[in-house]
This record gives sequence, C-alpha cells and structure tokens, in this order.
Amino acid sequence: MQGKQKKIFNKTALYVILALLALVWIVPVFTLVVTALKSKQDFYSGIGLFQLPENIAWGNFINAFTKGRLFTYMKNDLIVSGFKVPLGILVEALAAYALTRLNIKHKTGIFIFFLIGMMLPMQAALVPINIIYSKLNLLNTYFGLFYVYIGFGISFGILILRGFMKGIPKDIDEAAYLDGCNKWQMFLHVILPIVKPAIATLFITDFLSTWNEYLLASVIINDNAMKTVPVGLMTFVGEHGTDYGYLCAGVLIAIIPVMIVYLFFQRYFVEGMAGAVKS
Amino acid sequence: MKSKKIISLLLASLMLLSVIITGCGNGGGESAESKSGTETTGTSGGSGKTSVTFWTLSTRQEALDEIAESFNAANDDVEVTISYYDTDGIKDACKVAASSGTLPNMWFNWGGSLGRFYVDNGATYDLTAYAKENGWSDIFTSGSLSLCTFDDQLAGYPTSYSVLNVYYRKDIFEQYGLEVPTTFEEFEEICATLKENGVTPISTAGLNGWHVMRFVELLVEYYAGEETHDALSTFDESWDNEYVIKALTKYKEFCEKGYFPDGFVTANPDDTRLAMMTGECAMDIQGQWYDGQILSDGGDLSLFGTFALPTSGTSRVSAFAEMTQFNANNSAEELEACMRFMDYYYNDENVEQYADFYNLPLPKIGSEAPEKYINIPTIMETAETNGTFTITDQAFPSEVADGLFNVQDAVANGEMTPEEGAAAIQAAVEAYQSK
Amino acid sequence: MKKRVKTNIGSYIFLMPALIIYLSVIVFPVFYSLYISLFKWNGIGDMEFVGLNNYINLFVSDPIFITALKNNIIWIVLTLVVTMTIALALAVMLNKQFKGRTFFRGFFYFPCVIAPIAVSIIWRWIYNPSVGFINEFASLLGLDFSQSWLSDPKVSIYAVFVAALWQAVGQPMILFLAGLQGVSTEVLEAAVIDGANGRKKFFKITIPLMKETFVIVIATLIVAAMKVFDVVQGLTGGGPNNATQMLSTYMYSQTFTYNNVGIGTAISCIMVIIMMLVIVPYVSFTAKDD
Repeated sequence: MQGKQKKIFNKTALYVILALLALVWIVPVFTLVVTALKSKQDFYSGIGLFQLPENIAWGNFINAFTKGRLFTYMKNDLIVSGFKVPLGILVEALAAYALTRLNIKHKTGIFIFFLIGMMLPMQAALVPINIIYSKLNLLNTYFGLFYVYIGFGISFGILILRGFMKGIPKDIDEAAYLDGCNKWQMFLHVILPIVKPAIATLFITDFLSTWNEYLLASVIINDNAMKTVPVGLMTFVGEHGTDYGYLCAGVLIAIIPVMIVYLFFQRYFVEGMAGAVKS
Repeated sequence: MKSKKIISLLLASLMLLSVIITGCGNGGGESAESKSGTETTGTSGGSGKTSVTFWTLSTRQEALDEIAESFNAANDDVEVTISYYDTDGIKDACKVAASSGTLPNMWFNWGGSLGRFYVDNGATYDLTAYAKENGWSDIFTSGSLSLCTFDDQLAGYPTSYSVLNVYYRKDIFEQYGLEVPTTFEEFEEICATLKENGVTPISTAGLNGWHVMRFVELLVEYYAGEETHDALSTFDESWDNEYVIKALTKYKEFCEKGYFPDGFVTANPDDTRLAMMTGECAMDIQGQWYDGQILSDGGDLSLFGTFALPTSGTSRVSAFAEMTQFNANNSAEELEACMRFMDYYYNDENVEQYADFYNLPLPKIGSEAPEKYINIPTIMETAETNGTFTITDQAFPSEVADGLFNVQDAVANGEMTPEEGAAAIQAAVEAYQSK
Repeated sequence: MKKRVKTNIGSYIFLMPALIIYLSVIVFPVFYSLYISLFKWNGIGDMEFVGLNNYINLFVSDPIFITALKNNIIWIVLTLVVTMTIALALAVMLNKQFKGRTFFRGFFYFPCVIAPIAVSIIWRWIYNPSVGFINEFASLLGLDFSQSWLSDPKVSIYAVFVAALWQAVGQPMILFLAGLQGVSTEVLEAAVIDGANGRKKFFKITIPLMKETFVIVIATLIVAAMKVFDVVQGLTGGGPNNATQMLSTYMYSQTFTYNNVGIGTAISCIMVIIMMLVIVPYVSFTAKDD
C-alpha cells in the first residue's frame, strides 16, 4: 500500500537526517571527552587532537576533585540552583498568573515592563549591585546571590509562563469558579498542573543558566569555600598556560548534574493540553 | 489529578530541602562574610585580632592556603583571609571593587598601566615613607622598585620581576647547523633556514595581542634605537614615523614568509609552549618562568636555551614587574599586618618549600633561582648587561595598547599597509591624549 | 459571560514578589546606568558631566562602535534565519514518535550544558588551521584546505557563529518542543479529516497555534544575539582587528579595560534601547490580539 510505504520511507529519512546531524554535532563533544583523557605529556608528544591516548589519564578526573575542589563547587552550585530555581519559578508563575487571569490594570504594559530585564547586559548591573550589597552587608552571601539571580530570571520566566497560560482556554476558569475555587486554589490546583511542560522547560533552562552563571557569582562571592562551578572551573586555568586535560575533565564532571535535571524533567514534554481539555 | 499533586509536592519538598541546606550555607556565608565584609575598616576591636584580606591569583592557591594557615597559627593577633581569582577575573573584580569602595586590604597587581590606574586614583597606600623607614632600597632590587613607582609614589611591594628573552630549541638549531645570532641579519638567516627545513621559526599567538607585541616591540627597538624607542613609549615622539613603518614592514615580511604559525592572529598565547615542546617551532619570546613551566610539563630543559634578540645598541630586553598593592584606607595596624604577611609569604623558607609557585628569582637583592632552572641566570644577566625597557603593553594605557594590537592584526591580514598602521597607532595615541 | 474576578488587593499580591525583586535588581541598575552614561568617569575618580556626548561620540566618531553594531545586526539576522530554523526543524523531527527520541533530544540539547570556557577551547581546536578537525578532515577528502577560519577577517564572524549555533540551538529547540505539545492532537486530527496534507497542516495550523511559542523564541533569540559575549570573547576576543567585535565585548573593553565607564554604560544603554525598539512593538502587537 502506498500509505505504508510512504510511512516507512519517511521514518527512514528521519533517522538518516538525524544520524547525519548527530555526527556533525558530536565532533566537538568527542574532542572534549578525548582531551579529558589526555595528560600533559600526551599533548607534548604531538598527539593528534582526535586520537585517544595510550594511557587514559584518570589522574585528570581525580585531580579535579582533590586539587580542583570540584566537589565543593558542585555542592555550592547545587545549593544555589536548588533554592533559586523553584523559588524563582514560583515568583514568576504568580506574576504570570496575575497578568493573564486576574483583573489588573495595564496588564500588557506591566508585562512589557518586566520584559526589559531580559535586555539588560549583566555587566551593567555589576557595579550598582556591588554598591548596594556592600552597604547592606550582602556581599559574600548566598542570599545576595539568590536575590540577584531571581531578579535576572524574572523576565524570561514571566515571558514563558505567561505565554503558556494565555494558551489555556478561559472555559477552564469558568468551570473551576463554578466549582467554588478561589484565586489561590485555581492557581495551585488548576493552572499550574496544566502548564507543566512550561514549568519543566523553565526548570531545565533556569537550572542550567544558574549553574553556569559566572559573572555575578565571581563578583558577589569572594570566599573560596562558597564558589560555584563556573567560577571554580576558572581556577583550572593556569597563568601562562592551561592543562587542558585537567580542565576538560572538570568541565565534563560539572555537566553531570545538569544532564540529570534535564533527563528528569524532559519527560514532561510529552504531556500536553489535550489531556487537560478533556478533563 | 495525580500530576498536580506531584508537582506541588515536588516544588514544596525542593524548597524545603533547599531551605534546610541553605541554612548551613548561609551560616557559613555569614561567618565568612564577617571576615571579609568590611575590609577597609578592619575588625581590630573585638577579638583583639587584626583581620586583613588578600586577593590574588588562583594559580598560587595550593601554596598560599598552607602558607596562610601556618601564618595565622603562628600569629595570634593577625588573621589573613585570601580570595583567589583567575588572571582576567582579578582585573574585573578589582575594578568593580574599586568603583564600589570594596577593595580588600591588599591585592595582587601587575605594574605599568594596570597598576597605575589604582595609584592615579588614590586607591593605593603610598608606601614611600614606609619603604624608607624599612630600608627597602637595601632589600629589593632597584629595577623592581622603579617599576613599582609611579610619579614618585612607591605603590607596591615588589613580588616578581620578569625579563623576556628568546627561548630556542638547542637541538633543532644544532640539527641545521645554526648558532645563536649576534646580529639581526643573522637572526633573519636563521629564520629562513628553519623555514626551508619545515620548522616554523617563531611560535607566537595573537589573541589579545600581547604575545605578538613582544616581537613587534623588539623590531621597534631595532629600527628606532634605544632613545627613540623610549620617547615613543612616553608619547614624546610620534608613532607615525619611518622607524615604526620599517618595523611594521619587517613584521609584515615575516608574516608573508610564514615565519609565524598558520592562523596565529587569533591563536591563544597560552599554547605557544605546545609548539615548542613538539618541535613544530624553534623560538618563543618568553620570560624566565618558562624554565619552571617546561619542567612541570615534563619536558627536557637541556633542549632549551635563551638569547637576547640582537637589536640596536646593547640589545635591551623587555622587563616588567608584579606587586602587591595596599588599600589607601588601611589603618596603621592593618598595614602592619599586611606587611608581616607579605614578608612571611616571601621569606626564604617558604620560597624554598613552594618554589614552583613563585616567579624566581625574587626581586630581592641577592635572591637566586634554584639550580634546576638552568636558563634563569643567563636571562637575569642580560637584564643587567644589556639593560631593559618597560614592556609595551604596560607602558601604554590599555586603549592605546589595543590600538597597537589591532594594527598588528591588520598588517598581518593585509588590511592595512605599514604606513597606515603607523598612522593608526599615532591616531590611537592622540585619541587617548585628547580624552 | 463576564469574569467574576474582582479587582482587589488580593490580585496585586500575586505580582508583589516579582515586582519588588525586579525593581531592586533590574530597574535600579538601569537607572544607574542611564545616569552614569551622562558622565565621563573612570570608576574611581571624579565624575565629569558630559550630557549626551558619550552617545554622540559613539555614533559619530567611533568606527569600532559602528563595526560592533553592524556585527550584532548580522548576528541577529543569522540567528533568526539559521538558528531558529534549525531549532524548529529539530523540534518537529523530535516530536514524532520513534525509538530513541529521548536520546536524540538529550543529544542535541547537550551542548547547551557545557561551560562557555570549554566551548571556546574546543572550537578553537576544531578551527585550528594545521591540526584542527575541519582542515584535517578536508585533507582526508583530498581537498587542500589551509583556510584559517578564525584569523581571516572575512570569515571569522561566521566561524564564531557556527560555534555559537552548535551551543545554543538546544534551547529554542526545547522551547519549540514544549510549544508543539500545546498543539492539541484533536485539532490536528480534525484538520486531516478536512483534507489538509502534511505541509499545509504544518504551516497553516501548527505554526499559528504556536504563536505564543514563536513570540517567546524570537524575543529570546534577538536578546541573546544582541548580548552575545562569552563565545566571541573566548574564541577571538573581538579580533582580528575588530572583525568580530560585538557591542557587548566592546562595552566590556571600554568599561573594564580602558576605564571609560561612562562610554561603556552608554553602549549598554544603547543596546537596551535597540532591543526595546525591536521587541516591545513585536510583543505588544502579538499580545494585544487575544
């Protein structure tokens, strides 16, 4: 039958295209992994960039944890991200809910106002934030860091959550009110679950940008024991040259928590509106 | 129905968990903060201790953590807290801190225009009187002290004095029957021979311009001579002159003849050593720290030698210094505490024990480098016998230095002729002066 | 039927947390920057009022600024045309049901997760003229390729763009994926019954239904393109000779390297203004039709 043949053809084409793209995509990653396995001596022996070394330099990974204190940095980053991301999403969801469903004046205007935050280059905020924080004794505190991160995340979070919330038909609201829900219950039990894909996406992107954020973390946190991963990774860079194997090993290790978060949350992409509308 | 419960539960438990963990984090944060928060006023009251903060490069961390610990243990009345940054990070951190009045009690800085910025704006402690009282002219070398002096104000504790030479692969030179050049023409012949035999003569990399500049400034020294070069560096002479044009023309010639690695213009200067170790290149302009690096890379130091590039007059070499600067708002106790730590940090035992983390020899009179660094004595000698000039990117304000770097790129790429390049450098100088 | 939601303080409470934090973290620095941009200041010393001179000088007598502006515009166009298309194509492909779908999704998203410093290092090696992957691969195929990708001013910006593309495409991809989920299957099925085939279905139904997602993606891509910093700074530092100089790298140089804080903040204010001029009309236009 023509239909079936077409389906098989389409599926094969899909696989082929994806495989080709994947091949192109993987080259840089492969470089990263291969480099992490090389020791300094391997580099100087003139080894090709993409060749595997004879002896895998496990020392790089071990050093990343001992000399590099990577474990401390990862723990710190987890604290910062683990607190900031859910709290930030909550703050943003509250605001997005207000902007789409509650009777507030100038909703679009306020939304645009929130959008400006996305456009501000972080470098421009360094000095003013530093001045305030030094006066409030917030320098070198995680609270100070959370506060700034949430501030910078608000624009994007509201953008996404508002977008998804707008897509929810108002019939659902009607039904909920008829059932006797108030604003809070509607928010928690009706709207939030429906925008799960948005929250999941936001969780991933927010966690990632918080985990990898370098600029503000390097300025606000001075205490070495409190450094986060990107700031900590920079200590792997030498003064007159870098041990690339060591650095790449650190980079690879630092990726793991983010990938875990991603893998856990990406399954929520599968559920969609269809189910919500039906119920 | 289940999914909403799961989400709310998840969010709630995550937040609860974070609050619990943060409780510890914030606690730690606050105690650390009380040490380094209000640096300039210090905390000499309560516990009878003077607390001081020190910002420096993270490459020294392994040694400094231990040194600080033993210092703090041995001194009841002083406590030092150290924060580490990478080479770019520390510049930014200090700038931001200077703008918001949160500089630490002491910090690492380079000399020249980098260090000068803090001095010119009153952020540093004037050490001239202190130095006199404590006889610094008998402790530190005159070369390093003068590099730490800006307009008659001594603004830094000299911690490093670096001299540049041309490092070369002795074995490769031998292989092609080459000898250390005594004239610039001989140097050019060496490059030609190396190139013929498939070796790239000079290992350099142009990202951020300063490594290529090490060569270009020697060309300027060669064509302009010592006096004019010095006048050029202080902007007393225009850069739009025949000497600069000749220097840039020669530089262009080297680019066209392939004497530098392919695509060097955006290559990372941290990687020039790689080409030397593999024998791809035979020469690299570096400072005396190179010995230590080759050894820590597991290389064979006997394969490397150095010479001063024959230019004009006495073939001067480029030199620069690093220092520790002190906060202008330090109280007398804080300054004293800082000095005690600095003296301890750079005392003989620590230098011997943690030799790899210092740039040896120290800028102290009579200081020597460990014997295993076979090239250092030769290099330091060239500073004495040939004389030195301040390295260009420290002699220049950064804007003008960037102007020079852009010209280096443009001439290498053929976007500018040497004449246009010289004019462009002078334009950058004038733009800066009219600021 | 009218909404039975009353305007009361309760509604505003929902907005409060976001508003408070936002005002202190974002709005204050914006005003601070606007203020500083009217002065000549080196960060520590005295401030000298110069009015709009910083802005005027940038546009009139600063060729590097104009180059940076031009480069950012090129970057924005490239991002919208190339990055967004690829992200959408990937999302559509990865939305279909097939084995290994989850693996491929994670795979294309993976580069987003790598620290920017590593991205610069990896791609510098790939572009290395003598031992880099591209040129080595080409020579395997028998082509004599000694093109220096990053050092050649004609090509460097595109070379840096490819590295940025590799790293960044995962983000809009998962946004599109989430958006595609919102296109209810019922609507799609109804369309098929009505006789719409694959391509028509996609362009006439799916894309319009993803309007909100497009707003989000386009807005974020434009912003990211204007602010692009890490990958450029790491790979070329703005060189060679300003071929890849961006507004953000130039702003960084002016503020932190040259100590021209007034000029640096003027550049960041210009960046924000340009973004606002583009995004605000776009978003309000799409936000109005409910």
